[in-house]
This record gives sequence, C-alpha cells and structure tokens, in this order.
Amino acid sequence: MNVTPSSINPTPLSRRTFLELAGKGLLAVSGLLGLGGLSRFFSFQTETAVPQTFALGPAENYPPGSRTFISQAQAYILHTDEGITAVSAICPHLGCSVNLADNSFDCPCHGSRFALDGEKLQGPANRSLRDLSVEISADNQLTLLT
Amino acid sequence: MSPSFFHHLHPPTIPKPQARFSHTLGAGGLAVFLSLTLLVTGALEMFYYVPTPDGAAESVQMLTFLVPYGGLVRNLHFWAAQGLLIVSIIHMVRVLLTGGYAAPRRFNYWLGLGLLALIIFLDFSGYVLRWDEGIRWALVAGTNLIKAIPGIGPGAYRILMGGDAPGPAALVRFYAWHIFGLILLFIIVGVWHIFRVRRDGGIAAPPPKLRQNRERLPRNELVRIEVVAMIVATAVLILISTFFPAPIGPAMSETAPPTAEARAPWFFLWVQQLLKNGDAFFWGVLIPLAVLGLLAALPLIRPSLAPEEIGSWLPKSGRVVQIATLGIILTLLILTLL
Amino acid sequence: MKRTLAALFLLLAVLTAVWANGRPPAPIPLTPTLTGETEYCLTCHNDLPDISAAHPTAVFGCVRCHGGERLALDADLAHSSMRGGANPSDLAVVEPSCGGSDCHSGAVSADRDHIQRVQTSIQATYAGAIAAVRYAFGVQPDPAAQLGAFAVQDTETNTGVPYLDPFNPAQETHPSILKFSQNCLNCHLSADPLPGGEYDRFTGCAACHTPTQNRAPDQLTHTLTTAIPYTQCNTCHNRGNYSLRDMAFHPRTDEANGRLQDYYQPIGQFTQCEWTLDCIDCHTRSEAMGDGDIHSSQADIQYVQCRTCHGTINEPPLTKTITDPNDIALRLAALNPVIDLQVGDTILVTEQGEPMWNIRQLDDGSLQLTGKVTELTLPFSRVMDTACEQNPDEQESHFCHECHAVEH
Repeated sequence: MNVTPSSINPTPLSRRTFLELAGKGLLAVSGLLGLGGLSRFFSFQTETAVPQTFALGPAENYPPGSRTFISQAQAYILHTDEGITAVSAICPHLGCSVNLADNSFDCPCHGSRFALDGEKLQGPANRSLRDLSVEISADNQLTLLT
Repeated sequence: MSPSFFHHLHPPTIPKPQARFSHTLGAGGLAVFLSLTLLVTGALEMFYYVPTPDGAAESVQMLTFLVPYGGLVRNLHFWAAQGLLIVSIIHMVRVLLTGGYAAPRRFNYWLGLGLLALIIFLDFSGYVLRWDEGIRWALVAGTNLIKAIPGIGPGAYRILMGGDAPGPAALVRFYAWHIFGLILLFIIVGVWHIFRVRRDGGIAAPPPKLRQNRERLPRNELVRIEVVAMIVATAVLILISTFFPAPIGPAMSETAPPTAEARAPWFFLWVQQLLKNGDAFFWGVLIPLAVLGLLAALPLIRPSLAPEEIGSWLPKSGRVVQIATLGIILTLLILTLL
Repeated sequence: MKRTLAALFLLLAVLTAVWANGRPPAPIPLTPTLTGETEYCLTCHNDLPDISAAHPTAVFGCVRCHGGERLALDADLAHSSMRGGANPSDLAVVEPSCGGSDCHSGAVSADRDHIQRVQTSIQATYAGAIAAVRYAFGVQPDPAAQLGAFAVQDTETNTGVPYLDPFNPAQETHPSILKFSQNCLNCHLSADPLPGGEYDRFTGCAACHTPTQNRAPDQLTHTLTTAIPYTQCNTCHNRGNYSLRDMAFHPRTDEANGRLQDYYQPIGQFTQCEWTLDCIDCHTRSEAMGDGDIHSSQADIQYVQCRTCHGTINEPPLTKTITDPNDIALRLAALNPVIDLQVGDTILVTEQGEPMWNIRQLDDGSLQLTGKVTELTLPFSRVMDTACEQNPDEQESHFCHECHAVEH
C-alpha cells in the first residue's frame, strides 16, 4: 500500500489532507441534500381526505328510540327525546369501530366505553366520540355530514 | 489502506495501456453506473406509479409535476435509460473495433449482445408505461408487429398483451416485465457479463509474452478513478435532468383526434423507416432479427484476430469485422435520421 | 485534487436541482365537489372569476367543462386536451363539455335538453337560409330543409324533417350557391364570425351567453349569463343585408354600434319596445334555442308578436299563476334575479305556453315588465278597452307599427 505523506507528517492540515477532507465534506453536503430531497419526495400526499356527505333517506326510517349503524359512514344515528342526532363510531383511541351495547358504546379493541351521547366513560381513549351533524331537508330527507 | 468491498470487485492489477479512457471510452463502467441509477430511480418511481389505464398517465403527471423532486427522479430515470442504450452501443462498437470479441471473449460478447437486446426491451416497456397519447401509436403498431409473424403471431400477441388490444391486462404485463421480469434477466446476465470480464482476464489485451508495454494499474488507483468518474457522471446526469424534461403527453383518450405525425421511440425509428417499405413481418421482424444475427456472427468471421493485435484500435487482421460493424451502425444511423 | 473538484461539481449540480425544484409556482389544488378529483388549474388561473353564479368554480372546477390535463403544471400539456380550445361550448364538443343528464343534455320533461334543442335549432343548422337559397335557384324542388351547417338528427320529428345532411359546397354546382357558401355562412352558431369588433362573438352556447361587447381583440372572457344584451344578438342580427342578387353580404354603413336605423328588419319602423327593451325581454327560449324539432325556416319558430304581451281588442294577453315551487319560471328567474318571483305570482305566458317570467300582472290587474338586462321596471297597457280598433285577425307587427312607430 502507498504510504501517504500526511500519515507520517504530523503537520495538521497539510494541503493534501485539507483537499481530501474538503472533498469528503462536499460529498457529505450533497448526500445530505439528497436525503432531504428524498424525504420531501416521500412526503407527498396523493390523496386528501375530504369531508363527505351521506344521504340517509327519509326521516321515517329512523323512528323515536332507534339506534342505527351507518356502516359506510362509520356512524350511529340516534333518535332520542332531543331529536335525531349522529355520533361517530370511530374510537378516538386507535380508530376501531365501537359496538352498541345496552346503554353504551363499547370499543372491541382496547375496551374504551362511551355513553350514548358519545361522552367518554372509560379509557384508554382520552376523548369522547365525535359529534356529527344531521341535516333534515324540506321534504324530510336526512343527510349526514362527516 | 486495506482493500474495500469495491476494491475486491476488481482484479489486483490490470494492464495499463488497455485501462486508458482513450481505449475503453469509459463505456462499460458508465453502463454499470447508469444501470445502478436506473434501479434506484426506478424504485423511487414505483412509489407513485399506478399501473392501470385510468391511473397511469395521471400518476406520471402527478410524479412529474406535483411530487417534490418527482420530476427530477423521472428525468434521471429517462436520461439514464437513453444514456444506457447509447453507451451500450458505444461499448459494443469499441469491443468490435479493438478486437475485444476474439476468443476467449466470444461468449461474453454474445452475453453483451443479449444485454443490449434486454436494454431495448426495457426501454420500450418503460416507454409504454407512460400510457399517454404520445406512446399510443407506437404501442399499437409495435405490438401489432407481433401479430404479423406467420403462424405463431396471434398466439404470441395474446401471450404478450393478455387480450385482443392494448388494455388493462397489457399494461400490467408491460409493468411486470419492466419492473421485474426483464430486470431479473438483466441483472443475471449483467452480473454474468461482468464476472466473465474478470474471468477472461479483464479488458482484452495481447497474451503477456506479446505485450510491448508491460505496465499495470493497481486496483486502488482504478477505484479512485472510478469514484471520480462516477461523481462527475452523477453531476452531469443531474444537470441534464434539471434542464431537459422527459417527454410526456395527455392521458390516452378514446376521443382524441388522430395524431398528425406518429413517431416510434428514437431507438425504433430505423424499424419505423424500414416498415414503410411494405410487408410488416419481413421489414419489421425478419430484418431487425437479421441485424441482430449479423452482429452475433461477427466474432465467427475468419481469419480470426492475430493475438498480438488484440486490445488495440482497428487491428489490421480485423478489417472485415470493422467494416461490417461500421456498415451496420451507419445504416441504422441513416435510417434513424431519415 | 481531482476528487475534490468532482465533489464540488456534484454539489453545484445538486444545488442547481434544488434551485430548479423551488422555482415553479407553488401548486394550488382545487377539489371541486362535483367531481371530487383534485385539479391544479388554479396554479396559473387563480384570478379567474366564477363563470356564473350557477357554475361556481368551487363546485364545478375547470376540468368538468373545459377538459385538459388536471394534474399537469406545464401549460402546453395542461391545455393540450382541452375541449374546443378556450371555448368548450362550441357545438362540436358541447356534449362532453356541457352535457350530462343533470346538466344540459337531460330529459325533455325536466327541461334539461338544451343541447339537443340548440343543435337542431335554426340558428345552429342555418337550414332555413340554405333551403331558401337552394330552392330560389332551382337546386331543390321545395323549400323544405335538406341540408344544415352540420349533420343532425331528430328521432321524434313533428315537422317532417327527421335529419339534415351536412351542406357541402364541394357538391354544389350552381354559381350562386357557391357564392352563397363563400359569402353567407358567417352567422350560424358554429361559424367563425367575420373579422371586426362589431361581429365579435364566440361559437356554440357562448355565442349568445358570453357577452363580448367592447372586449379587446382576442381578449378572453370568463362569463356565462342568461341576461343577454341586445348587443350580443347584434353580432349576427342587424349587421347588414345579404343580397340575393349578387349573393354577397353588405355590411350596414351607419354607426355600427347604433341600435336600429338603416338595416333593421323588416320595415324600418320601430315602436318604443324596440328602442327600449332587449331582444330577450320578448323573444323566448324556444325561438332562440329551438324547440327540439328541425325547422325549415326562421318563420316557423319565431312566433312572439305585439299581441303576445298586449293582447287584442277582444282578448287580454294570456296569464298564469305560479303554483309549483319547481316551475320553470321560478328557475329562470333565479338564474337572472332581476325580480323576486314567488309562488302565487301571476305572469304572462305565450301562445305556446312559454313563461314570460319577467312580465307580471300585479294585484290591481296592471302589467309590468322588468328588463332582463336593464332591470328597468316598465308598466304597460293591454289593448283591450283602449281606443285601438285593430282587427284581431291582422296582428303582424307591421300593422301595429303603422300607428305606434316612434322616431328617435
């Protein structure tokens, strides 16, 4: 192997060492810029979630006292004394769909429980279920906004 | 300095006269570099490409215009692919004009020719993946050429396209060939080709006894040169890709009006020119196959090369091969430029 | 040394790429609620106003009507697949641009068959002029339409003309017909207008619905309206005369922006209505846009006369009280809200039952027109119970002009 002068000459930063270091430094900067570009390349979102509306049909289909699961919207439609309301079925903990029990919504994944108005009863979820809005048109058709 | 992985890919020393740039033109090494670039940029493109007729052109546009550095990645892939085909041809011509095809390297010459064919198929299949108006007629004409083969034509077409016309099945097949099937073959044959280079004693040179210049180049110096060459090549490729965008067209549409002028991709322009003469099978299949056959037959031409002339430009004993090579290249070039 | 220089070169190349990546304008996405597919046209066209209140950009976006490559940020590529260039309403491309069952090629019963009606209309086919000229020079045996500006079909004809073949000058031999084809085909809806600001209009739907008055040459305009001023009608009508003798167009010689004067058809006498109102205040949708049938003459489709609004000495004009909240009159009034039309209002209707939604009969029985363009409120009287003695069987406008012409 060649023995380079810098390894026997203790002078700090001979011209040659400096050039080699500079070369490596420049390459490192290019590499870092490349990595930065790569992370931007991968961070692009090809889809954006847009709020959706769901036509639920005539209000008569949801009689007083009814609790209806709308699977495509992941939501429950409740007809209580206060009228027709909607609550999201998506558990705020990690996103599983909650089940309707006798008097609560129970999450099958990690055991969170929520009251029928969506309020949190028991963790691990740290928030309540999201309230959704339901619109009733002039001809009595329901629309759910998520 | 202890030898690194990259040093181990090379013989400890190689003959110096044949390692000069003026001898190799750097074409083989550049081909390896461009192939690696293509693998990396191709892998990046796969994160956004959608191989369906409705999604393909849109996803290419999304990659080109909206993904940060997506246009750069696509341009790098495009220019590396065009560059690979060009440097491969230069590499082949160099081998033919410096006697590198002579025994014991005849077999490796054929492997190289196989790689060239694979590169052309990779270029064409990649070109088709754009699935936009710009590639439409080349795809239609190019695949209908298969149908023109007597007897097996329709069957071969079905095997290639998975249907009666370019559609979802054909796109997925081109995609699978481009990103996997052809790449697998390319890697296998490519590694074999490089292995044979080392196995056959590196770059072609006269037998040791007949050498006038006995100087040899140690591999650590070779690697240093290669690293500098690779850095420069990367920079040049980035600059080209920054300022010259790869071609792109509007999404393929049934309602699009007929194109004023439909052109084959540049590497098939010579075939398009030939096809204007008449019978599709003869001019579009037999003649190109004959060109390939002719190239494959060049190392078999007698008398074979004088051993002391191997590894130098235009050896006297290889005149027939040199004239045939230049004849073929010139003919193809003229047909391409017509 | 070499390697350091190479590394410097590479860094410069990378920096160039970073610079180039940051150079183009930041993409501006728009996800129209109608299509749900994100488009990036606003990156360059963010300053364009909504084309009309009925077509807000947030709902329709650009691509639904114009076509084009919604993701491309390269102007040439983005525009390469646009329909009809800058005008997607050209009749050659109107179906994919403006059509669709919820848009303008829907059911007749829903009054959404605009495209079919316009394509068979006399203003689009020019069939009346073509038939009349060919008949006059003995090339066809009767004045019934055979040829149009383009081929068109009507599968349920009420006029006995189920289709028109395209008028092709190459198949004509009579020198006058050839001159006609050279000089007189500038005014149908697919024809490019004559050069000159006074003829300036688009083709297709936009010929009428995109006002072009006073725009600079080739200035683009992004407007659709149902409040069509008379100036837009004037880009074809009232521009001069076609001479049957030499088969040439003779442009009017007076001030081109003047309203009536020399060349107004047919008699050069005008009532106050014709000075004050816009054409669309009286002339109806079916007269202008067709009724779905192929007609052989403008006279077969244009029917509104003075009596439509004023009645005769024996009969008041026809009226109708709106009861249905989905009545077409309410829809039309909502598109051009110059009056606040309500269920329960009484409006005039034509002899064919088309609503004159801008003319109300007030509670006291008086009549009031609101200008669709001018928004002027104009009370007017019916003929009944006045001193008028005009014979109810002689109601063409020239009879009325004899007494009611005014000078300006």
